[in-house]
Amino acid sequence: MADIEYLKKLANDNRKRIVDLVYLAKSGHPGGSLSIIDMLTAIYELDVDLNAEKRSKVVLSKGHTVPALYAVLNSKGIVKDEEMSTFRKINSRLQGHPYTGTIPEVDATTGLLGQGLSIAVGMAIAKRNMGDNHHVYAIVGDGEMQEGQIWESLLQAAHYKLNNLILVIDYNKLSSYGNVNESMNLEPLADKVRAFNFHTIEIDGHNMEQIVNGLNEAYQVTDKPIAIICNTVKGKGISFMENNPKWHTGVITDEEYQIAMQDLGKAEVE
Amino acid sequence: MEQEMVCLKDKIGEMLCEFAREDNRIYAIDSNLAKSTTTLKFEKEFPERFVEAGIAEASALSIAAGLAAEGQIPFYVNFAIFVAGTAWTQIRQAAYANLNVKMIGTYSGMDNGKDGASHHANEDLALIRSIPNVKVLVPSNVKEMREAIKIAIEYNGPVYIRVTRDNVPNVEFDTNAQIGKANIVEDLGNDFALMYEGTSASVAYKSFEILKEKGYKGKIVNIFSVKPLDIELINRLSNEVKGIVTIENHSIIGGLGGAIAEVLAQQPNHAPIAYVGVKDVFTESGTATEVKEKYGLNVENVIKKVEELFR
Repeated sequence: MADIEYLKKLANDNRKRIVDLVYLAKSGHPGGSLSIIDMLTAIYELDVDLNAEKRSKVVLSKGHTVPALYAVLNSKGIVKDEEMSTFRKINSRLQGHPYTGTIPEVDATTGLLGQGLSIAVGMAIAKRNMGDNHHVYAIVGDGEMQEGQIWESLLQAAHYKLNNLILVIDYNKLSSYGNVNESMNLEPLADKVRAFNFHTIEIDGHNMEQIVNGLNEAYQVTDKPIAIICNTVKGKGISFMENNPKWHTGVITDEEYQIAMQDLGKAEVE
Repeated sequence: MEQEMVCLKDKIGEMLCEFAREDNRIYAIDSNLAKSTTTLKFEKEFPERFVEAGIAEASALSIAAGLAAEGQIPFYVNFAIFVAGTAWTQIRQAAYANLNVKMIGTYSGMDNGKDGASHHANEDLALIRSIPNVKVLVPSNVKEMREAIKIAIEYNGPVYIRVTRDNVPNVEFDTNAQIGKANIVEDLGNDFALMYEGTSASVAYKSFEILKEKGYKGKIVNIFSVKPLDIELINRLSNEVKGIVTIENHSIIGGLGGAIAEVLAQQPNHAPIAYVGVKDVFTESGTATEVKEKYGLNVENVIKKVEELFR
């Protein structure tokens, strides 16, 4: 059984890294990075061995939330501490969206929304044919679910019964513009994904026990791809960011940085 | 140059099978056109390495990207307009990652005559060659076609192969099929150089024969590698011949002629260049021959451009 308290602490540390990255870059997408970080932390901790030749892969299709990925990779020593201040700056390995060219441990170059689930389908087919029993995760934003290609790949993943493919939907209900479902209604989202023949699990994406249970349930599925819909809060953990679409992207001031670190410090004590 | 006529498109499936027998990393990805593109043969022989993506071209290309990311060598085979057009940002993102994705675009240019302008791919070279990392090869005969596929397998990175559906004369010449190489098919003198891409081979050879009969002594050059171009050869010829005429089953905007002009324009002195291809218009239905004739890819046009050099 996974150590829930340990995972929570790791996730909180990764939140600090996300805030650092965006603060130092004076640019980036903190809101959606903070909403997915609990899930991303758990996936890397429980199922991704970055030192193994054959391993589970993670396609961060909502590539703008790359601070979450760099936070995890920093915690693993792949992104060095001295690199953290170079995010989004010239001559840096830390590009504004995931790029395999500078960081080989990044599993897919993404950024153009809608493509990552299809990439994961290709990876999952290859793994299955090669007898590699690891998983492929596609992490998709709720706004990204409006992309047509997502629905193409939902068909394909189910057609090929890719039970090694886990689609994670970060359902924080907000996109850059405001409420996702007001801009283009996704509901009933779980029913739709289920109707596409995905084993569909709904969890609170900030509850580490539910996250671990959800992943464990996913690993047991034998006949279809899995979707884990994570109900999340955009900007989770930072008082002034939570549920505020302004923080899809934004510049963190010195004062805001202090408040954010205080929020995360309190969370640590709790 | 009396030669048997061949449809290179009909060789795609069997050639991919040939290589796939030796290399189990080779996949074929289809978008419900395996019968037309002949990858049906691949499906029959290698069902586990054939991925039917359905009529979902964008996702099909990204699936190829995912297969490549896992060390496989996927060939996405489809009509050129669907590959280069429908899946353009997917190609771009795969190329940005320098993934080992191979694309075969067939029914290129106006080869899909009767389907009409919607299905004519007169823009694929322009679309693809503007993407960094992608190599663009256009075979003109059976031998080059096999070479193009072989090169694509051996080269680690994205490759686009443009394959004619219309018949071309199977002219065998001492081909040096390489990325970045063009080949002089016949060299009779410096009156002109015809530079063609493989899918317009018929018009190029016929024109060359007529020009020969008319007493002109020129060269005919097969641009096997549209990207990167054989800059050295093109620059050298541009200082030897009286004029260059490019011939392409494509728009004259951004295709072969455009690519060659980009090279020549950087030289202080070079022969003038004239373009034979589709002007900036949409085409229409008809047999491939009729459409090509009407929209500018024809022998008369080539002869005219060469003779204008001597006025």
